[in-house]
Amino acid sequence: MFGWKQSSAAAAKPPNPEPPAAPAPEAQRKQDELMRRWIAFAGMQQRVIRTLVGEIQQTSAIVETEADSLSSRFQRLAVCAEQQTQRVESLSRLAIGIEVDGEAVGIDRIAGLLEETLSDVVEKILLLSKDAMSMVYALSELNANVNRVDSCMEELNKINKVTNMLALNARIEAERAGTAGAAFRVVAGEVRELSGATQRLSVDMDTELKAVTEGIANGHATLQRVATVDMSKNLMARDRLEVLMNALIQRSGNLTDVVGEAMKEAEVISADVAGMVTGIQFQDRTRQRLEHVVDTLHVVDQALDELKTTTADALDGPVLETPGDNEWVKTMLDRFTLGDLRARFVAQILEGGKPVDHRDDVAAPSETGTVELF
Amino acid sequence: MQIHIDRAGGQIAMSGEFTFTDHIPFKEMVTEIFAAPGRAVVIDLSKLDFIDSAGLGMLLLARDEAKKSHRELILRHPIGQVKRMFTVTRFNTLFKVEE
Repeated sequence: MFGWKQSSAAAAKPPNPEPPAAPAPEAQRKQDELMRRWIAFAGMQQRVIRTLVGEIQQTSAIVETEADSLSSRFQRLAVCAEQQTQRVESLSRLAIGIEVDGEAVGIDRIAGLLEETLSDVVEKILLLSKDAMSMVYALSELNANVNRVDSCMEELNKINKVTNMLALNARIEAERAGTAGAAFRVVAGEVRELSGATQRLSVDMDTELKAVTEGIANGHATLQRVATVDMSKNLMARDRLEVLMNALIQRSGNLTDVVGEAMKEAEVISADVAGMVTGIQFQDRTRQRLEHVVDTLHVVDQALDELKTTTADALDGPVLETPGDNEWVKTMLDRFTLGDLRARFVAQILEGGKPVDHRDDVAAPSETGTVELF
Repeated sequence: MQIHIDRAGGQIAMSGEFTFTDHIPFKEMVTEIFAAPGRAVVIDLSKLDFIDSAGLGMLLLARDEAKKSHRELILRHPIGQVKRMFTVTRFNTLFKVEE
């Protein structure tokens, strides 16, 4: 494959017809020794290469398994992040206001409606208070009028009493005058009759007037009860509600700000997670690169194998490894800090063990992940 | 409630608590002050501690009387509960309220 034999043959049969001078026996022995040491070194290199190939394949399997696991977790995280973003968006709508009959009503609009209603109530209370006091004034005026009528009735009664007295005196004088006073007696009787009628009318009017006075007094008392209901606390309720609504608007604003920030952060998290899901796909490229490295190492291994065989054929006697040839390997292994890696290298390079496929061991990645501490 | 009337200056000073029970003296005072000649009538409220809804109603009736007489009714320096009631009822849109 690599043409070592042909090259060796070509070297063995040079175009120059004159045979080279044979090396001295001591020099030939030294050359053979060096060749044997090279073959031993090549064997060691091959074991190192094979061990490295095993490690690379194992590492590649670990990376691929862990990357798949990470990718799955990130995808779940992406779904959760997306759901979280939707929840925050939903919360944002809730923070702005309430839903009435399928229509979103903002807190500021609720406050506006409440303010409008309260203003209307305040206006009505003021109008009611004004009208009640206006009626109190009107009833007071009416009461004063009735009192004046009552005074007039008293005057009327006084006049009636005088008239009645005059009629009685006229009747007495008519009786004294005898037949001459007959006509005067008739007039006196009529006057007395008129006085009696006036008296009866006065009594009736007095009764009616008392009823009116009583009605006014009852009305005044009722109105007083209405007018003295203090609505000032109801008016001040608007003051308190305004404070509450302002606090509610303030809180709604703060909540909207916080939810807005949370929304932005949720979107950033979603974008980051989506980026990580994409970024975690690196294992495909890593595996391909490692396959190329492994393939290259296989080729080097085969080349060494061929060259080692060719060289061994040219030597007389077996090639034995001397302990001194392994010193560089021991020095290299001493630099390893991972215990299990070192154990595998010792088993495969120094003790000639076969590479073990550990890929099954890493098929199920641990949930928490383990890191060997140095 | 106590009422002090400055007829010459067209000024009224009210103190104490202005409630329904004050309607008779208040009406007499309003009738008297608007019967006197002048332009503006000032009610000083700087010593008035409390006003109820009936008191507010009486002030509105006094405002109507002022309009009938083509006079201006000014409410001056309301304090405490009276000032808050004026704010809640937006009295400053109905009267000239001087702070």
